[in-house]
Amino acid sequence: MKHIGKILAGVLFAVLLLTGIKNEYARLLPVSSYGMQAAVKKKSVDHLFIGSSMFRQGLSIDVLEEMLEGEVYILSYNGNQPAFMAMELEYMLKEGLEIGTLYVDLYPYTAAAAPWISDTKILLDTDLSFKLDAWKLMNVYNDTKLLDFYELFVTANNEQILTYPIHNRLVSAQFRNGGNILTPGGQTKEHLDSLGMLGGRDGLQEAQVEGYKKILELAREHGVKVYFIETPKYERMYRDADYMELYEACRNKMEELTEADVYNAEVILAEELAFDFGDAACFQDLIHLSTEGRTLYTKLLCEKLEELRAE
Amino acid sequence: MASDIMLTLLFLGAALVIYYLAPSRIRWGILLAASLIFYASASVWMLLLTGISACWSWFAGGRIEEIHIEKGKRGWLLLGILPLLGVLFVFKYFNFFSASVASLLALAGLPADPLVLKLMLPLGISYYTFKMISYLADIYLGKRSSEPYVGYYVTYVLFFPQILSGPIERSEGFLEQLHRGLYYDSGLFAEGIQRIILGLFKKMVIANRLGGYVDTIFASPGDYPGLAAVMAAFFYSFQLYCDFSGYSDIAIGMGELLGIRSRQNFRCPYFARNIRDFWNRWHISLSSWLRDYVYISLGGSRVSKAKRGRNVLLTFLASGLWHGDNWTFVAWGGIHGVWNLFCRKKRAEAAGPVRVLRQTLATFCGVTLGWVFFRAESLSAAVFYLRRAVFGFSLSVTDIQNSILPFTGDNTCAAYFLTVCLFLLLLFLYEWGQVYGKGRDKEFSLSGIWMTVMGLSVALFGVFGASGFLYAQF
Repeated sequence: MKHIGKILAGVLFAVLLLTGIKNEYARLLPVSSYGMQAAVKKKSVDHLFIGSSMFRQGLSIDVLEEMLEGEVYILSYNGNQPAFMAMELEYMLKEGLEIGTLYVDLYPYTAAAAPWISDTKILLDTDLSFKLDAWKLMNVYNDTKLLDFYELFVTANNEQILTYPIHNRLVSAQFRNGGNILTPGGQTKEHLDSLGMLGGRDGLQEAQVEGYKKILELAREHGVKVYFIETPKYERMYRDADYMELYEACRNKMEELTEADVYNAEVILAEELAFDFGDAACFQDLIHLSTEGRTLYTKLLCEKLEELRAE
Repeated sequence: MASDIMLTLLFLGAALVIYYLAPSRIRWGILLAASLIFYASASVWMLLLTGISACWSWFAGGRIEEIHIEKGKRGWLLLGILPLLGVLFVFKYFNFFSASVASLLALAGLPADPLVLKLMLPLGISYYTFKMISYLADIYLGKRSSEPYVGYYVTYVLFFPQILSGPIERSEGFLEQLHRGLYYDSGLFAEGIQRIILGLFKKMVIANRLGGYVDTIFASPGDYPGLAAVMAAFFYSFQLYCDFSGYSDIAIGMGELLGIRSRQNFRCPYFARNIRDFWNRWHISLSSWLRDYVYISLGGSRVSKAKRGRNVLLTFLASGLWHGDNWTFVAWGGIHGVWNLFCRKKRAEAAGPVRVLRQTLATFCGVTLGWVFFRAESLSAAVFYLRRAVFGFSLSVTDIQNSILPFTGDNTCAAYFLTVCLFLLLLFLYEWGQVYGKGRDKEFSLSGIWMTVMGLSVALFGVFGASGFLYAQF
């Protein structure tokens, strides 16, 4: 029994040690071609896009690099929420990243969600203090359980770390400067019409609105111009009452925030661009663009940016 | 509590403290109380039903022993067993029977809506019913005497580590240990911890990790490449084995912490070299139960060739039906029955490694084919699945990517897939050691290195969200 006890104590000690090392130092693993660490490594970026999969699937790195002057980087995490985008921005600035212009994803659903890290890659890219702050934020707005803590701090990303040499190579091949270089095809109208809607949410979340404010504050402190950008959604979304309720709330809130003269910020909604929201070939699903849609939209966005700058 | 392994282990921890603080003569009472609380946490009504069944079978067991006339003995045996089978039939098979009759009537041009009973299946009913039947049959066959204490007997029937998914422990060994007294045995206690770690590794690290992928592909095989269907079929073989044998290891281990030894329920079944060998290694408590109380009761092998064939088929069909109320289980039992009939009884022979590998792989592939029927929702779904696996199969880069993607649905899928493969390799190496290496002469062994590796894997790679057990539904 003594022998077993020693082994169990050793296992417990090893788990604590490995968990501590992972949470603080996993970010030092060789960088990928996407995520925060790859951005920080660049030291300076002229155009930084921060967002969710809306940006990952909705922005073409090829077009951005061709039409915008200077270094471009897209930082996208699945389901990335404004509250965490603000923390990510703060983290990268603290790590010494210099930003020319900042572009922030404006997606009403993430602005209406209770703060939660839905992409554990964020944890792989950050230090322990970031994770503790993130946990504290999630704890305020969610009924967090011990199992959640265990999954976020102990088991999250272990598969990626265990297989890092292969996994990192495979995934990094899908990105360039954070931009997705895979080429997903579009859908048919029948398919998009058959998909279920995303349902309603109870208005904008306080923590997410605070996240937008914090982004504006950070940008002001560092003299960075900010654009809040909405990527196009399939036309059915704009006919959905639940989505439109959130959309209007988000739009009004952003107008209110960006109106203040202290901030150098603007909002670019998809409706301002000559994009065909009913062209099924431009969409992978109701909210994500296909390669064709992504290329078309990014061109229109760059033209709009040029127009705004000229004004 | 009953369906969550971590809560069960916490419950065991609390029970252990009280158990070992109490004098040894009343420990059986603490076991009984813990088992009653455990069962009641699922449903008090079910506990009442199970308690009445246990008390009835105990009473019937006493009557069988008391009566010396063969006819009377047999009468009490039937009186004891039939209500148990009746309850099992009503709760588990009535709707299946009713739907099957309705389908037959519809085929004959007499459509009728099947009568459906909306009943919740009592926890562990298939397991404890078989325990009680074996107790009565053993008394009838003169293999054991009846249990004088009803408290001991109810403890045997409701023993909480084994109520959910077995093993179907025989009364003999269990009750004998209660009569001898329950003492702390440090060697047995240590073995219990080792078994629990092995079980958690199989269940949390492998079975839970594979569950999501298997469910996704089996739910709509037509949406994925044939390669994904092939992968999911093999992964289901591992998931089922790791889930069920993992639970068995945990249940046996929990019993050992309480000072109670149980028989091994699995012996590395995927190392079997033929189907007979497989059934000597898979769910041993059920296969030996069916052998002793169904196959031998039907005449066993000491009859004509035709009758022996019938006995084998009926035994395997019963095995299929025991698993659930669906024709897919009957088909699965039938496949194994026919395969068994065509499997020649071989003498223990020395064979080269290539031959052993060939036989082992062939058996594993055959068993996996059977599991497709076991897992599918219906016979037509199983046939569709197999057609998809065969006719949709290719090894193109796109198909490989689309077959791995369902692991997580995002770009972490490759890491997840590779991790699964790594842990399966670890399990293979451990079991290889049990079959061909140093562990082959022992019933159970887990060295310090394996304990460390498996303990670390459980803590760092365990998937704790999905803790239900596949075999709990049977």
